[in-house]
Amino acid sequence: MATLHIPTPLRPYAGGQRQIEVGAANVDAALQELVAAHPDLKKHLFTEEGELRRFVNVFVNDENSRDFNGGATAIQPGDTVLILPSIAGGKGKPASTKLSKVDHAALRTNQAFIIGLSLAAFIANVPLLAGLVSLAMLLGALVVRPAFGFVYSGFFKPLGLLDPEVLADNPEPHRFAQGFGALVLLAGFAALLAGNAGLGWALVWLVIGLAALNLFAGFCAGCAVYYWLNRLGAPGFAKAAPQGTFPGMRPRAS
Amino acid sequence: MSFTLSKVLLEQIHTHAAASYPEEGAGFVLGRLEGEERVGLALHLAPNLREQAARARRYLLDPREFLRAEQAAEAKGLELIAIFHSHPDHPNVPSEFDREWALPWFSYLITSVRDGQATETRSWRLADARIQFVEEPIILKE
Repeated sequence: MATLHIPTPLRPYAGGQRQIEVGAANVDAALQELVAAHPDLKKHLFTEEGELRRFVNVFVNDENSRDFNGGATAIQPGDTVLILPSIAGGKGKPASTKLSKVDHAALRTNQAFIIGLSLAAFIANVPLLAGLVSLAMLLGALVVRPAFGFVYSGFFKPLGLLDPEVLADNPEPHRFAQGFGALVLLAGFAALLAGNAGLGWALVWLVIGLAALNLFAGFCAGCAVYYWLNRLGAPGFAKAAPQGTFPGMRPRAS
Repeated sequence: MSFTLSKVLLEQIHTHAAASYPEEGAGFVLGRLEGEERVGLALHLAPNLREQAARARRYLLDPREFLRAEQAAEAKGLELIAIFHSHPDHPNVPSEFDREWALPWFSYLITSVRDGQATETRSWRLADARIQFVEEPIILKE
């Protein structure tokens, strides 16, 4: 038997063991023996095509088998076999992270339309328009899209009038913020229908103000509420603010 | 899931990243495990073995250096818990190349260096499916 040494980062996938005894006569067979005993290791040692990952080196008595016969390198009883990773990396195209990509140009278009249409409703004294905006926002929140984002994706972006501003961000807080704004606007609409013009227009103006804060200052109040609920551990508010970003502020471009 | 380290240790990482500029600098972090939390306590620096022309975009550490780092950790009663490396004039988020080469379980501390100044470090772990990285908060101690 030979002793096969498992490196620290792979031990959690090998039942925490530092080493196992293998009876294999060469490197390939030793790795197969290891993977048979600890199947969770397979995807970290081998690619989906079954090839040894490039960072995996197997040393037999201080010699890298890649410099000899590779997987066919012989193992004698009593040998020390070590899996030693090459550590490599470097900058370039970002890998997928738990943060999604959010196009803030679509969000800003949405905010601009919410502000414009709500202002128009106030100026022309047409409560129905505010009601329609709130329904569009509610629908947007339900289908997880900015209500007026289609104006951006259908016109502004293809016509080159607005450049995409894709940031690493969580989409959920923006969805929450839009839904929250929709309900405030809907409440305003209901108050207007009930004849309480003061309360109704005040709520409409609250939505205009918060959308403007987001559009012009990059602060999403609804997102801040979302992140605050996340800190309190409220169920359903799973995402924390991107690191280095004040909760609710637009993340920096990376 | 978090990575705790002292301001002094972070300063050492930043100094190494700035000294390596415009090339990428890298090394190992030795420390302790406290459940899902990790505490970085010492560095094990290692030379970037990439050919000179590639060092501004790539780093490579010798597998024998890995063994030395692991042995150094064991000698101190610590564990090898993380790899740190710098991204010169580039954001401190893992790249596709980082993902391809990433080991599971390790924390990957990435430092952004702008014009020779280390600006910020973030920590990432490869998710078990190997598809994406998950950020872990860095907790700084005095």
